[in-house]
Amino acid sequence: MSAEMANEIKLISGRSHPELSDKVAKRLGIEVARTISLNYSNQETSFTVGESVRDEDVFIVQSTTTGDVNEGLMELLIMISACRTASARRITAVIPNFPYARQDKKDKSRAPISARLVANMLQTAGANHIITVDLHASQIQGFFSVPVDNLYAEPSFLRYIRENFKTEDCVIVSPDAGGAKRATSIADHLNTAFALIHKERPRPNVVGRMVLVGNVEDKIAILVDDMADTCGTLVKAAAVLKENGAKSVLALVTHGILSGNAIETLNGSVLSALVVTNTVPLGDKVERCPKLRVIDISPTIAEAIRRTHNGESVSYLFTHAPV
Amino acid sequence: MVRNIVVLGGNSHPALVDSVCNMLGLPACNRILTKFSSGESRCEIQDSVRGKDVYIIQTGFGGNGSKLNDHFMDLCIMISACKTGSARRVTAVLPLFPYSRQPDLPYKKSGAPLFKAGSESGRKDYTFDSVPATPAPGVPRTAGLINGTDITNRLAKTVLTNGVNGVNGAGSMSPVKQTNGEAYFGANGVASPMPNTSIGSYTTHDYQNVSHIGAFQARPGYKQWVAQAGTLVANLLTCAGADHVITMDLHDPQVQGFFDVPVDNLYGRPLLKRYIQTHIPNYKEAVIISPDAGGAKRATAIADGIGVDFALIHKVMERRPTKITDRQNASMMLVGNVADRVCILIDDLVDTGNTITRAAKLLKKEGATTIYALLTHGVFSGDAINRIKASAIDKVVVTNSVPQDEHRALLGSKLDVLDISPIFAEAIRRVHHGESISVLFNND
Repeated sequence: MSAEMANEIKLISGRSHPELSDKVAKRLGIEVARTISLNYSNQETSFTVGESVRDEDVFIVQSTTTGDVNEGLMELLIMISACRTASARRITAVIPNFPYARQDKKDKSRAPISARLVANMLQTAGANHIITVDLHASQIQGFFSVPVDNLYAEPSFLRYIRENFKTEDCVIVSPDAGGAKRATSIADHLNTAFALIHKERPRPNVVGRMVLVGNVEDKIAILVDDMADTCGTLVKAAAVLKENGAKSVLALVTHGILSGNAIETLNGSVLSALVVTNTVPLGDKVERCPKLRVIDISPTIAEAIRRTHNGESVSYLFTHAPV
Repeated sequence: MVRNIVVLGGNSHPALVDSVCNMLGLPACNRILTKFSSGESRCEIQDSVRGKDVYIIQTGFGGNGSKLNDHFMDLCIMISACKTGSARRVTAVLPLFPYSRQPDLPYKKSGAPLFKAGSESGRKDYTFDSVPATPAPGVPRTAGLINGTDITNRLAKTVLTNGVNGVNGAGSMSPVKQTNGEAYFGANGVASPMPNTSIGSYTTHDYQNVSHIGAFQARPGYKQWVAQAGTLVANLLTCAGADHVITMDLHDPQVQGFFDVPVDNLYGRPLLKRYIQTHIPNYKEAVIISPDAGGAKRATAIADGIGVDFALIHKVMERRPTKITDRQNASMMLVGNVADRVCILIDDLVDTGNTITRAAKLLKKEGATTIYALLTHGVFSGDAINRIKASAIDKVVVTNSVPQDEHRALLGSKLDVLDISPIFAEAIRRVHHGESISVLFNND
């Protein structure tokens, strides 16, 4: 064993999504490192390191907790900075759901580009590499001057559709113009029809009128998007699709943020199912919403970590989902 | 009226923002600062900041249902928004600097730091191969550690379940006690008299996840340590785009050195001094006390300034348990004489109130008549309020560097609050006009 190979994967888990970290660790055949994060009574976050990370290849898994994004982000920054101080060889932040990904442009005067701020903060703290899943806009990678591996849930979705439906019965629908590229890519792989919904958005978190472009009659309409937040868009889109004669409507979404009244909205909707990956901790939402199905993304993340550590190519994962 | 200046307030201390704006004679900048339902901060600055000198006031305090980390992220986002909005200069005004005082020891639930003997309790579970091997080429990495881990983890869990059932440590189990089969025998089967205390010593302020913490054990042979976030916070502020930082009574003056941008550290000292001179009868006869050696400089500065005596409380770090009953006070030592005199405790920050209440207890024992505690930052977290209510302290005096309304309601007449907004307003005015800040504190 050469000296360069001496370092190992150290998987550190933040508080936001321990289940995912455990699954990744199990997949990699390692244990989650012994660290613990706490909040003092004055609400400052403290991070205790219980084992050596010196010269190790550190991977820190931290997702976003719905409703408490800043707490998790601060914890992640402190964890990164602690590993930097503790002489880790390389620190990779594994952020399945990149926080503030939607605040990625100055869409009006003095609007903050918070995604860039988060990118800068991660680098300031000492991250050498970022692994994430389905960035809202892949241009966010340009905010970093360190490598960013943007993994896709698409292969997992393709498998889900192939295993559960006859592809000729399906039509892939993008709920907005911005997601058209994502949806057409899936439609191309499955060789199915494609439709698009155009929407007007008067204010954030509020959805306006919707128009369907394309034909969904007597088909299973599959809505594809990168995140489901309040689910207003998805539910309205589903209603529009039903009105236009779709046999049934389901949605495939990478990040199930499901904030606010999302669960109630979903339960009362015409959507037959909402399929999400476990990039975001879902908590008790699966029990509260019978329509919610979860695809495990941890094999993809674990494989990306393994390949990054061994210096192998990650691009295989862009088209294949490990079983 | 000050021209070309924008004062932008965060959500942490609206009263201070209003007060500073009043003194500067300008309205606070209109902004929307809330949270999206997903939990991400939403910030919209509604007034123009182009070419302006922007001051963003956000204190490092979370309370009244708000969170410290939210406030800090809000601050960074606001700084960044002003920067991208072509502000000429952005100054972060942090009356209380967050993460400036991080204890290096884990805290237990009551807020008192722990002097834990973790390695001793864990040592019994060592197997010969759990000692970290000296790394050398060709020497396999310690796979044997995994085995040792399982035992400690299981032990931690079983002892925890036992604790819930009221079994008081493996050594003192009475036959009357209820046990739940497996957990009981599991703990016994390993036959390791692991004291309950080693588990309890890891509990902290994270109330939601107690079992997780109970199971936490550092890897055998590794001394656990707590990450210090002070440098990180400084770097994050600079990275967000702060050109200048104004703060007050930094716990460590070295924090100033963490920044690459100018930091103006204001002093609460003149306010505290004025309070002593105007509100404490016969203050010339009083003694100024520093509750720990680290604050001695701060306290002596005041004592010298008003010409009164000075005493110091020295914390003796007890490593091994002593037999003295009131062990807590046994580890504190008073240097100086306070018998039949008024005592004035001076410190920069009261958080859980552990230090000052213990100091007060010691002072009363040494014969102090009245005890005042003068502190710049009154955080009062955890059960600080109750602890102070029950303590020997007669009067607590803090500044409004963090919101004090709630504390005042709880502590009543025991708490006096000094207003720091004039100091900050004057500092902002002087920084804006490029005048000296140090003359503000010259005659103190």
